[in-house]
Amino acid sequence: MAQPVTVLHFSGHQYLRHRLVLSILSGKPVKIDKIRPDDKNPGLRDYEVSLLRLLERVTNGTVIEISVTGTALLVKPGIIAGGTVVHECPLSRSIGYFLEPIVMLAPFSKKPLQLTLRGITSDDRDLSADLIRTVTLPHLQLFGISEGLELRIKKRGAAPLGGGEVQFLCPVVKQVKTLNFVDRGRIKRIRGIAHAVRVSPQFSNRMIEAARSVLNRYIPDIYLYSDVYKGEDSGKSPGYALSLLAESTTGAMHSAEAVSVPGGAPEDVALTASRALLSEIRRGGCVDKQHQVLVLLMMVLGSEDVGRCLMGEPTLRTIQFLRDVHQTFGTSFKIVPADKSDPESTELLFSCYGTGYVNANRTLA
Amino acid sequence: MDDKQHKAHRPSQSGAKAEKKKGKGKEKQHGFNEKAFAPRSGRRAERQGRRNAERDQTRLHVPLVDRTPDDEPPPVVVAVVGPPGVGKTTLVKSLVRRYTKQTLNHVQGPITVVSGKKKRITFIECNSDLNSMIDIAKVADLVLLMIDGSYGFEMETFEFLNILQSHGFPKVIGILTHLDLIKKASTLKDTKKALKKRFWTEIYQGAKLFYLSGVLNGRYPDTEILNLSRFISVMKFRPLVFRNSHPYMLADRLEDLTPREEVRASKGKCDRTVTVYGYLRGTNMRLGSKVHIPGVGDLQVRSITKLGDPCPLPDADSEKRRKLSEKQKLLVHAPMSDIGGVMYDKDAVYINVPGSFSRGNNEVPHGEGERMVMDLQDVNTTLDDAVARSQIRLFGSSSKPLAVDPGPSRQHSGSEDEDEDEEDMSGDEDEDDFEGSEDEEEWGSDAELEGSEEEDEDTEDDGEDDEGGNDRGRSAPRNVRRGTRGLSTGHDRQGKAVDFADSDSDMGDFDEDDDDEDDVPRQRTGARVRFGDEEEDVHVQSDEDDEMDEDEDEDVPQWKKKLSERAATAYEEHGRKRRKDWIKLIYSSSLTPEQILQGDAPGQEQQGGDEDDFFTVKSKGTVGDAEEVLDMTKEKVDAEALKAWEDEELLDSIRNLFITGGSGSGDAEGGAGGDDGYEDLEGGADFEDLEAQGGDGGAPAPGNHEASRAAALAAKKELLKKKFDEQYDDPEASKMDFYDEKKDEIARQLQLNRAEFAEMDAEARALVEGYRPGAYVRIELADVPAELVENFDPAYPIVVGGLLPAEERFGFVQVRIKRHRWHARTLKTNDPLVFSLGWRRFQSIPIYSLDDHSIRMRMLKYTPEHMHCYATFYGPVALPNTGFCAFNSLAGDAAGFRVSATGVVLDIDRGTKIVKKLKLTGVPYKIFKNTAFIKDMFSSALEVAKFEGANIRTVSGIRGQVKKALPKPDGAFRATFEDKILMSDIVFLRAWYSIQPRKFYNPVTSLLLSDKGRWQGMRLTGQVRREEGLKTPQSVNSTYKKVERAPRRFNALRVPQKLQAALPYASKPKLMRPQGKATYLQKRAVVLEPEEKQALALLQQMRALRKDAVVRRKQKQNERKEVHRKKVAKEEAARSEKDKEKRKEYMRAAGMKSKREADKEEGGSRKRRKT
Repeated sequence: MAQPVTVLHFSGHQYLRHRLVLSILSGKPVKIDKIRPDDKNPGLRDYEVSLLRLLERVTNGTVIEISVTGTALLVKPGIIAGGTVVHECPLSRSIGYFLEPIVMLAPFSKKPLQLTLRGITSDDRDLSADLIRTVTLPHLQLFGISEGLELRIKKRGAAPLGGGEVQFLCPVVKQVKTLNFVDRGRIKRIRGIAHAVRVSPQFSNRMIEAARSVLNRYIPDIYLYSDVYKGEDSGKSPGYALSLLAESTTGAMHSAEAVSVPGGAPEDVALTASRALLSEIRRGGCVDKQHQVLVLLMMVLGSEDVGRCLMGEPTLRTIQFLRDVHQTFGTSFKIVPADKSDPESTELLFSCYGTGYVNANRTLA
Repeated sequence: MDDKQHKAHRPSQSGAKAEKKKGKGKEKQHGFNEKAFAPRSGRRAERQGRRNAERDQTRLHVPLVDRTPDDEPPPVVVAVVGPPGVGKTTLVKSLVRRYTKQTLNHVQGPITVVSGKKKRITFIECNSDLNSMIDIAKVADLVLLMIDGSYGFEMETFEFLNILQSHGFPKVIGILTHLDLIKKASTLKDTKKALKKRFWTEIYQGAKLFYLSGVLNGRYPDTEILNLSRFISVMKFRPLVFRNSHPYMLADRLEDLTPREEVRASKGKCDRTVTVYGYLRGTNMRLGSKVHIPGVGDLQVRSITKLGDPCPLPDADSEKRRKLSEKQKLLVHAPMSDIGGVMYDKDAVYINVPGSFSRGNNEVPHGEGERMVMDLQDVNTTLDDAVARSQIRLFGSSSKPLAVDPGPSRQHSGSEDEDEDEEDMSGDEDEDDFEGSEDEEEWGSDAELEGSEEEDEDTEDDGEDDEGGNDRGRSAPRNVRRGTRGLSTGHDRQGKAVDFADSDSDMGDFDEDDDDEDDVPRQRTGARVRFGDEEEDVHVQSDEDDEMDEDEDEDVPQWKKKLSERAATAYEEHGRKRRKDWIKLIYSSSLTPEQILQGDAPGQEQQGGDEDDFFTVKSKGTVGDAEEVLDMTKEKVDAEALKAWEDEELLDSIRNLFITGGSGSGDAEGGAGGDDGYEDLEGGADFEDLEAQGGDGGAPAPGNHEASRAAALAAKKELLKKKFDEQYDDPEASKMDFYDEKKDEIARQLQLNRAEFAEMDAEARALVEGYRPGAYVRIELADVPAELVENFDPAYPIVVGGLLPAEERFGFVQVRIKRHRWHARTLKTNDPLVFSLGWRRFQSIPIYSLDDHSIRMRMLKYTPEHMHCYATFYGPVALPNTGFCAFNSLAGDAAGFRVSATGVVLDIDRGTKIVKKLKLTGVPYKIFKNTAFIKDMFSSALEVAKFEGANIRTVSGIRGQVKKALPKPDGAFRATFEDKILMSDIVFLRAWYSIQPRKFYNPVTSLLLSDKGRWQGMRLTGQVRREEGLKTPQSVNSTYKKVERAPRRFNALRVPQKLQAALPYASKPKLMRPQGKATYLQKRAVVLEPEEKQALALLQQMRALRKDAVVRRKQKQNERKEVHRKKVAKEEAARSEKDKEKRKEYMRAAGMKSKREADKEEGGSRKRRKT
């Protein structure tokens, strides 16, 4: 009865998350093949399957078909339902891996989302829960998603065994606002969270000291919090990490973090984090590189107006994301150097014409 | 009478009078009379003020964004709607005549005219088919609703108004025609008044209603049309929400592009490729989304092309005039009507030349078609000759024109030359197509920057192009093109790393490296080989190159040695890298993201094995990589790169990015426009310090530096001054109320929308923002059903509606619905209904429901009267808050009011929560005190298990619970109740059974039919039976039978003796034995006395007499009545005769009228034939 719909077609295991997000948002079925076909252990990994489970639970009417070998995947997206969802994340990836796509979807669900995720709260691959709370969510606020947006870190869980728990609350919006963010301003303050679980609380103080040694030269307004979780709330494994956030006068945020490695000193972690922050600041732009994808997606979904944002050079993920967006929504960006007169600057001005995406899932009654 | 001049009046210059005058004048001059303007009372003044404020608020509406461009808006769609025979065609002809001074014979399809300096109008006539009315209602900006004044409103009019209402209600102007048929002035006045009143209740109080008196020369009177056109021109349009979020187009014409051979082979049944032409409206239309053509279905857009405007607005020179020039007035675009002698059909173009066609007649302006034919007749040379005579030079610098020497052999070469020539002229676009797009931009910027290189490259590029032609003539236009794009930058190619220049497959590589003025040791030299006809150039790496690669893999010391250098200057290098054209790289190259970022040549990866290692293990790359490459948000921390931060200089170099850092001499300062105020926080020393160090970054000349500092200072001062002014001069002025603020915001965003892409070239702009409303485009549609083309009828509008991504999917749509109060029948659940929702018209099967105390959605069998209810059906998704209307039947001959319901979309979901009540009944077969065994409710123990704990109830209201299944009779169970139940009780269990609407979606494909009004959807079962002559099958159990009820016997109520004794008298049962003995009277007989007998006889006689009298009186009366009856019958006969006569008269008049109409139509067609 229904006419055949266009199926998006992708290859490779890379960029699975944003492809699934785009598929669910656009409502177009997506077929992904050649998922590690030549690998010793072909097909989807456990965390990818877990992600699919999570998306199935957050949505209503989603049909996921995985081939026998696990190297191909067909997702027919349903509607984003929201509501209360609890999900156990596998220990192979941290909570950030699962939370990132959910952050992109949650504002467009039928009911406000209350998601509880259990697992590892910070590792060296994905954004830690701290950064998502302090950086990712404020980015959503740029698009008018603010009231009731919250991430609660109930328990922390470090790398091998996890045991952390976060709760993500997200309101529902009808339409996201158009972004016009071209003034990066200057860094006015630096904030940070140093946490240490199941190790000496002195570690976080040592990290703070070391980070200050690098950052103090720039600005006096530095507050690095030592966040200590004890007993039950501190998860199952020892570990510590430092996440840093630099905020500019116009509200642009740059972030970096570093996580403990076995046998490493907290000072090294702090130095890595603070230097990463400095290089992030030097990259310029109003959005740091981890959040380019999120911001670009929201710009695409904005009302049918021109949204503009200043960013540093796109990352690999961003480039692929731009292409995938072009395929799903037909939106392409105008990308021009921000400052044509200055040959040194690598900042780019991304502007696009929003698709006028309206949250069709939202109930009127 | 007398011409004598009177003496002029001389006002007195002095004296009391003069004084008085002066005083009076002064007062007037002042114009200030306190009493006159002061309020009489405070209360009254307050009321007045409040009223004014309220009236002020009424002019405010919710600010809506109007996305139609100001510079070139699409023509306003003016639809002429009305019942047949009301004068629609005449009105369109008159209006077109008014605007263009051209006479239409044949009104078909949209007609676009220029109506003002910034305004165009598209007229479209709507036929009386309901499908057309629905489509028109969705696209019309202004509706001219025509009403036959001599007849009054017709059903179609009301139906159309209701359709309009549910799709956003565009502006409506009512037009009363046929007023000349009403002869009596008072009747005319009354009719007008009555119709106006009705019209106002339907639209709004004060809606404009026009009167057109009669027809002159086949047109309405010019003055009346002029007035109407004035009203049309001042009409303001408020954007409608749905149209403001969807792109759409009213197709001017349609063309079939399918190869004829394919059509022939499939006997015309193959899916067609069709192009439609028209002005885009609504929002920007982008490729990649589907469109819906109501009446056809969802279609894939293959391509969109912007065409030249066939009916352009007057341009700049004519703009200077106040009025539209007469020349502009002649512009009209109506491809499906016969304007200018040209008429477009689906697969042909017809050119009409009038019968009295004569060449010499020059005073009559010729139409487009006539001119075309005449020009064709004029030609006396062939194209071949024209080419031979032409003085075409291939290049600007060529001295000899292109020579075509006669002879059979040159035919070929000549055409080839021409091709090449064309290619040249059209600039680079063609070459892009041939050479792969990724390289084009790159060498473009080269060409601009490096003069020497440019020539080399270009010549090489054109190597295959032309051997003799030097390229100078061509470089100019190319530069211009790039210039407009604003993409080329002033970079020098100095990158020592593998930069983007290499990624691109041009061939001037050896030159390029020579051009490098770096002192960086050259790591590699590239040589490229061009293979004959391959499209991509192949980059064969030299040995050095390979070495380099190996180095990278194995971390050979040489590389490390360089590392320190690199790290130190990483930033500068980064910046100095060739600036990339990101748009091209990302959207139109096949490079992987890695290649884009690293600036690798595409060949490098593909060509991993050159001649030396032809056989490489494929898995080597993939397996090794796959382990590493995860879908990570954070990139791996490059410890080496971070090491660079140990360097003090590097640390200091980013000081300027912090508020404490000072202005930083402007480098990398980008957008930090207004924040200079912060820099003084730390004091001047820091500033000075930084400056000393900052020299290494940009290193401008010191003089220049000073100048820039001064400029920065001036800018800062300016800013501060502005800020001060704002704060202290007029703090009130900057404050705006909510409404103005919103409006301002919208205006600013629109301004930005316009400005952002203004300088891009058209192609790139279309890629980024799509095709803007107002553009005349040609949309190519793939896989269009053949019937659309075969059965094409220009009288039926073709609307191309763009779909949002969400609207392409299907789901259960929940709507709030209300049966229309004029629709005669209630709507029944599971009866098919035709919905007009969004762009679509489709049939689906709704289930009606109502919210039952916010607990459940309870199914309704029928829609309630005068009340909204919910309906849920399966169909294409529409955004919540979209209005719709529904019909039982779209057929023209359907009786009564066809709009059966209207409503609005509430919710979209993949499942539904509608339940209907299910009552399970059972009977007790054994009763204990509060426990009973119930049977006949379930059929198995499993079913009972499912309902354990469920609430049950008896008819008498005793509540209970299902406990456990019993083993013996299948499905029996034990239940407990709050009281002892009776054996005669019926026990029932109330359950809710969830139901889903049937997944039925049937688009109304009316445009595909040859007879477009005859679309037939799914019929009702009863309809099918009626049409097939089938009997309704009846279940035996459904028939009504006499209920046989055994009389119930009740045992006597026995009150025990003991209790009786204890009861008070009032409560004691009053039990009495029946009378045993005969009574006194029963025992005795009664005999009459003689007097009594006499009296009785007398009475009997008197009664007999009276009876007789009554009979006779009645007879008399009947006779009299008979006479009267006859008289009445006679009168009746006379009256009926009169009636018959009257009816005859009326029918004759009606017959005449219909005949006249038929004649008129025939006359029209006859006239057409004549021309």
